[in-house]
Amino acid sequence: MAGIYVHVPFCKHKCTYCDFASYPREINKAEAYFACLLKEIDSRAQELKHMVFDTVYFGGGTPSFVNANLIGAALNRIKKTFNVAQGAEITIEINPGTVDEEKVELYKKVGFNRFSIGLQSADDKRLASLNRIHDAQQFLHTCELLGDQNISVDVMIGLKEQQKDEVKKTIDLAVKGGAKHISVYALTPEEGTPMFTTYLNGELPSEDETAELYDFAYRYLDKLGYKRYEVSNFALGGYYSRHNLNYWKRGEYVGLGVAASSCIENRRFTNTEKIDEYIRFIMNDCYAEIFSEKIEGDEIKSEFIMLALRTSAGINLDKYKNTFGVDFLCEFKEEVALEGDYLDIGENFVKIKDDYLYVQNQIIINFLK
Amino acid sequence: MALTKKNNVRNFCIVAHIDHGKSTLADRIIEKTGQVSQRDMESQLLDSMDLEKERGITIKLTPITMYYTAKNGEEYKFNLIDTPGHVDFSYEVSRSLAACEGAILIVDATQGIEAQTLANCYLALDNDLEIMPVLNKMDLASARPDEVSAEIEEIIGLDASDAPRISAKNGINIEDVLEGIVNKIPAPVGDDDAPLRALIFDSYYDNFKGVICFVRIKDGKVKVGDKIRTYISDKQFDVTEVGVFSPHLQPKECLYSGDVGYIAASIKSVEDTNVGDTITLVNNPAPEPLPGYKKALPVVFSGVYPLDGSKFNDLKEALLKLKLNDAALSFEPDNSMALGFGFRCGFLGLLHMEIVQQRIEREFDLDIITTTPGVSYHVYKTGGEMVLVNNPSKLPDSSEIEHIEEPVIKASIYSPPDYIGPIMELCKEKRGELITMDYIDTRRVRLLYKLPLNEIIFDFFDGLKSRTRGYASLDYELDGYQTSELVKLDMYLNGDICDALSIIVHKEKAYARGRAIAIKLKDVIPRQMFEIPIQAAVGGKIIARETVKALRKDVLAKCYGGDITRKKKLLEKQKEGKKKMRRLGSVEIPSEAFMSILKIDSE
Repeated sequence: MAGIYVHVPFCKHKCTYCDFASYPREINKAEAYFACLLKEIDSRAQELKHMVFDTVYFGGGTPSFVNANLIGAALNRIKKTFNVAQGAEITIEINPGTVDEEKVELYKKVGFNRFSIGLQSADDKRLASLNRIHDAQQFLHTCELLGDQNISVDVMIGLKEQQKDEVKKTIDLAVKGGAKHISVYALTPEEGTPMFTTYLNGELPSEDETAELYDFAYRYLDKLGYKRYEVSNFALGGYYSRHNLNYWKRGEYVGLGVAASSCIENRRFTNTEKIDEYIRFIMNDCYAEIFSEKIEGDEIKSEFIMLALRTSAGINLDKYKNTFGVDFLCEFKEEVALEGDYLDIGENFVKIKDDYLYVQNQIIINFLK
Repeated sequence: MALTKKNNVRNFCIVAHIDHGKSTLADRIIEKTGQVSQRDMESQLLDSMDLEKERGITIKLTPITMYYTAKNGEEYKFNLIDTPGHVDFSYEVSRSLAACEGAILIVDATQGIEAQTLANCYLALDNDLEIMPVLNKMDLASARPDEVSAEIEEIIGLDASDAPRISAKNGINIEDVLEGIVNKIPAPVGDDDAPLRALIFDSYYDNFKGVICFVRIKDGKVKVGDKIRTYISDKQFDVTEVGVFSPHLQPKECLYSGDVGYIAASIKSVEDTNVGDTITLVNNPAPEPLPGYKKALPVVFSGVYPLDGSKFNDLKEALLKLKLNDAALSFEPDNSMALGFGFRCGFLGLLHMEIVQQRIEREFDLDIITTTPGVSYHVYKTGGEMVLVNNPSKLPDSSEIEHIEEPVIKASIYSPPDYIGPIMELCKEKRGELITMDYIDTRRVRLLYKLPLNEIIFDFFDGLKSRTRGYASLDYELDGYQTSELVKLDMYLNGDICDALSIIVHKEKAYARGRAIAIKLKDVIPRQMFEIPIQAAVGGKIIARETVKALRKDVLAKCYGGDITRKKKLLEKQKEGKKKMRRLGSVEIPSEAFMSILKIDSE
């Protein structure tokens, strides 16, 4: 398994909680940016021509905010230069209010087969307060445009004064829109965002209250047939995000565009977050990496474990043994015994028990090397 | 340097309220006498231990010898002796004062007399020192020297009309101070030809020279090659070096009566050179030691355990090394059900304990757990046998106990009369018994109390200072044992008894204390995977209960491509934090939990 990630650092305006690399005021640089992106695609593809990629993911920012032809050209170039497997999962993040029929048709035509929609909430007042650009009605309209597609919907919890009924309403709306996959993310107040001020003023729900909302969402989704396969991700039968599963299986991936990260042959590297700098690097026939580290020895193990224990499948014991040459249960005999109450141990897996997945850090840290 | 006549020697210390400029004036005097070049001048030269600089306190005494040519044309030798400023070290203070003939009393000309000024000044008066007031901070516009002079005369009864008015910070009128030292502080008296009597007022261990004893020669003289004997520890040594402090050790041929200096004699441990002991010559011994020797006895005991159980030997090494330099520290191996192998340590007081704890952590890079401090009890068993118990977990079962005696102190509390009420209230809370109260003069009253030691080791001193706005001073001595109704208060965490949290308390206080400790533990124990009941019990009966709720959320919301490195670091940090915790049964406890329950009363 291997994935390709493309970062589109543009959006209409920033949401109050967003600290991603996205620059509403630099949309005028979109064409230059995509020109560079094509160059980067060519070089990376050349370098990684021995690899087969099963997933492609266009994230942002709001990829659907920019000219769809630019997106189409980038995906076409990727398919032309990289070995993208037959039947690959090709996802694009879209926002209601930024797509029309024409755009959707173009996405489908160039090969996107999975659409991730940032709904966040079904409450229009909430959406306005988060500085989102859409309302619930527009969400449904977008879903209609997409038709019977593989749709994923993001839902936020832990928002100011949020109650269960808002979470329920949001999930119901996502279901109505035909979501095959739902992600439930707890708000993480990041320094430098307007939301952080809200957080500092103590206006956000407590961890217990958020946990309460999470438990509700988990149980409700389960009842609706959306099975949890990772702590924040739920899907109807089989509709997992293959792209994201690859991260949690510690597969390889290449990131293209600003702020995109890669992990190839145990080297992690990340591109600059700044658009101008990115363009300058690429125009000078350089990569735009500004961070690189080699992951070695026990660190690989730690990563493997911390990522696998996020998932409902847990650690695959055969895979662990094949990768590291040791038996997980022998290597961590003491820790497994100590944390035994919170673990499910099967023939070929060790996973965190359902009830404890939301306090997983407490368990995971015991297995870090 | 020519030999200085005894008449031209001045031994003195500086007493002041904190922040009134003691260290700054010391620095200026050193500078003015040209003892240390400007380049070497590190601010607050006297406080040499890192910990001292940081906390602005003096722990080890640092004397310094300087030469000054006075306006009368004669050269004088000045020995400035620093004094520690905390009640834990009051005996050291009294010994270092005993090495002087005079004291400079610094008073901040903007603030006037403050609590500590008074407390320290009385200590100096009690040691018969000549006191020379100095008005500092004259550079500030708010200085009001005339008023403050009047205050000194009124409150302390010292004539301050000709007190030097200086600015230590700006170096103004420092010469007046130097002339004052010459003219007001008496020269030492003593007979060079009498048998040697040298007062040890401090000592430290040097890796090359062995123990360096700081001495004041009262009578006689001492030189390299002399065979010396300590009076109390009764050990003999050959003197390898004598000298003065400049401020670094500067060897001399001989030290004479009236001198302040050091003696090195390949002494292996500071235990052989107790503060207050007298050094004499083997061949020509003095018939009597100098008066006032007291062995510094540990009065506060606590368990010290390595956070990482496998570091027991490292901890032992650290304690042995500290002991070389700190005769008052005592320790013996101990083990706890909850904490494994460690040591039961004895300290002079809580500050001493805190200092030892910090030195272990800094100088030896060891993470340790210090259990709740307590005192040493006499436990009489039904069979008539008496056992000494300084570890609550070693207290025999109540059915085997006939009665228990606890150590008591006789505390002299000095204060302006305004604060008698609050002091009495505090002492009553601490089960104190007033023995006498007398007015030393109209401005100063002495309350003599009998107090259980275990009540005052926690926060009595702080409580006293805060209730008297810092004006009261405390001096205490151990005064034997008295029978008392004591019980063991046990703490249960998640149903398991935690021996390291047990304390011995007075029966009537057990309920309140148990409740307070349970509440405090609830605050300091982080939430874990399961609900943790915290219970306080006396004799198996639960008297208080609190609950730490189970953790509900501890997860990184998202973790995708670029996040992995960052999220991994977050988890590693969390793991590091967990390493600072100690697992007791099924519960993880932060190491500071043991000390936090001490601070209950002061909150």
